[in-house]
Amino acid sequence: MKKKVIATLLTAAMMATMIAGCGSDKGSAPASGDAQNVQEQAAGGEKAAEPAGDSADAAGEASGGEVTIKLFSNLPDRKNGQGLVEQTIIDEYMAANPNVSIEVEALDEEAYKTKFKAYAMDGMPDVVSIWGQPSFLDEVLDAGVLAELNEEDYIDYSFIAGSLDGFKKDDKLYGLPRNTDIMLFYYNQKMFEDNGWEVPATYDDLMALCADIKDAGFTPVAMDGGDGWPMACFLTDILVQVAGVDYADIVSNAVATGDFGAPEIRQATQILVDSANAGMFQVGYDSQDYGTTMNLFTNGQAAMYCMGSWDCSMALNEDIAPEIRDNIRAFTMPTVDGGKGGANDIAAWNGGGYAVSANSAVKDEAIKFLNYMYQPDKLSKYGWENGVGLSAQDQTAYLTGNETELQKQVMDILKNATSISGTPINDCGPSAFKTAIESEIQGVSNGSTSVDDFLAAIGAACK
Amino acid sequence: MKKLYSNKPVIFSLILPGILVFLFAVLAPICLSIYYGFTDYSGMGEAHLVGFENYTNLFHDSAFGRSLRNSLLLAIGFICIQHPIAIIVAAVLDKLQGKAEGIFRCIYFIPNVISVAVIAYLWKFIYNPDFGLLNNILRAFGYTEKVNWLSQQNAIWSVLIVLIWHGFGWGMLIYYTGIKNIDPVLYEAASIDGANWWTTFFRITLPLMKPVIQINVTMAIISALKQMETVYLLTNGGPNNSTQFAANYLYQQAFKAFKYGYGNAIGVIFIVICILVTVALNTIFKDKQDA
Repeated sequence: MKKKVIATLLTAAMMATMIAGCGSDKGSAPASGDAQNVQEQAAGGEKAAEPAGDSADAAGEASGGEVTIKLFSNLPDRKNGQGLVEQTIIDEYMAANPNVSIEVEALDEEAYKTKFKAYAMDGMPDVVSIWGQPSFLDEVLDAGVLAELNEEDYIDYSFIAGSLDGFKKDDKLYGLPRNTDIMLFYYNQKMFEDNGWEVPATYDDLMALCADIKDAGFTPVAMDGGDGWPMACFLTDILVQVAGVDYADIVSNAVATGDFGAPEIRQATQILVDSANAGMFQVGYDSQDYGTTMNLFTNGQAAMYCMGSWDCSMALNEDIAPEIRDNIRAFTMPTVDGGKGGANDIAAWNGGGYAVSANSAVKDEAIKFLNYMYQPDKLSKYGWENGVGLSAQDQTAYLTGNETELQKQVMDILKNATSISGTPINDCGPSAFKTAIESEIQGVSNGSTSVDDFLAAIGAACK
Repeated sequence: MKKLYSNKPVIFSLILPGILVFLFAVLAPICLSIYYGFTDYSGMGEAHLVGFENYTNLFHDSAFGRSLRNSLLLAIGFICIQHPIAIIVAAVLDKLQGKAEGIFRCIYFIPNVISVAVIAYLWKFIYNPDFGLLNNILRAFGYTEKVNWLSQQNAIWSVLIVLIWHGFGWGMLIYYTGIKNIDPVLYEAASIDGANWWTTFFRITLPLMKPVIQINVTMAIISALKQMETVYLLTNGGPNNSTQFAANYLYQQAFKAFKYGYGNAIGVIFIVICILVTVALNTIFKDKQDA
């Protein structure tokens, strides 16, 4: 009899574990997850002791107007750069609205996009980071998970002309852009002066300069080829010089038809291949990651570094030696011989931003918070003060006079631009196209795939 | 006690948790995978049935072909390089006796204790053309050219070396345990008969290790097929899919390219291959045992 009791107890224990394991935990899903990856911020720590998720909302609402907004962000570093800017605004908002608490869950970009998809299937957090580019937004908008915003509300928010376009579908607005990104060649001014090198005006000059730099024993351009997308942005930059203002039409036409045989695309790809062949990039560029590549430049081993304007914060980064940090300058892609692009036609776009979930239980509050973030003296101003690059709004009112030379230069580049390319080529198609081009571009640049095969392969990924 | 174990409700309640786990954590996901493999599901929105389209595309997908070829290369590398060395090292360790045995056993097992993320970054630095250990060694010998260890042509071999090195400790430990289980009397008898080390190894150790070798080979092939995390962190399948493995490719297609249906089709083919390989291995080993 005793054994029978023990057996029954054991079985019951097993069943209990099973049931606990299978139990639905829908309500607390966004707040649970990997403790290491999830950062939760609650007002003054008061909320931390409360149960997470819907139960907290319910309890709050019953006690009079308490609201919890869940923010899902792609900025896990809350102490530096853009993540710090975001957190500062959140803290200010919670201080100004004591009844609102904002819970942040932050993951880095790739993990973010994966979890975003999981959320899209089973209830999204209230405010989310998004990218206003077809490779990300098309599928998301098709699934109908984002709330429509009223464009009229943002007339006074001084958004740069055209910056909202990527966040629209059928003329309806679904998100707001955070940054303006410009593709740049960062260079080490001191190294240039010491060696008598000059900023190139044409692509041929650039090739000659790279040969000189190589002869001097340095890497000409540090390129993050391991990730694929920086090289696709580089190709975009060349294509803008080759095709000029026709860039967007040529690319959207190619994506729509799956035919990338346009002479401009072919020529731009060939220029990329020739440059890589001539040793413009470091040895092994096609397998090196972001950090390693950036270090080549910030350690003084490479004379130039090809990346977007978000890396302007290098000029304020205390970890970089002052003799390099203070000498970082930038120029844009030089003109290509016979190309239609001018020196002021630049590769720039408005990529990252925010949106509100369509099914949010606190949609109005979430939109109110979104609008607060985008008040011109918030994201734009704090972003500028923290050197995180250019926002998608007019920032001229927030110049402090203490800007780094690099910041001023980038500001001028944007001010003097005669045309802006819009979305880089890899983000112009569906995400299958993005995955394909970011992998295939490694093959074509290192010579293992021919230009024809490359163009055919990326075309096939659009179909 | 006997009565208890023949009581059907008790038996049923004891195996029920196991069956439920199998049903919901293994069988149900496989069935869902098979279903999604026939759809164009992107992971969001609605799924539409597309018949065998994903599978026909898969057979024309060169990256998938390359990932299977790489898995095969890895399996061969495990069986022909890692395991022979592991057996010999295990046999030598067994002969060392005393303190040295424990120390070397620990040293050889260290790579398995270190996290995969650390291993991947460690080797990333070792292979770096600018400041990597390998190129610095070459430079010390007067070879100044920067070798690109992770180039399109070299990368797969560099990745194989890491994987073989990393998995070595497990193989060795299992062989070592197998050797420890061999009756020492056999070795004593052999030495009385005048057998040297090699003869003992080939005539006593190896034949008696057969079941251990079988288990190890099966595990090696399965781990070659399942390879994902080291590759994901070391090269992420690049440059241009030259170091792609099936599991990593599945992840990329399903979660980065938003081709969830296609990813599931890869998963289904993957399961079929794993089952076929396991059945084939069992048949081969069974034949040998019968003979």
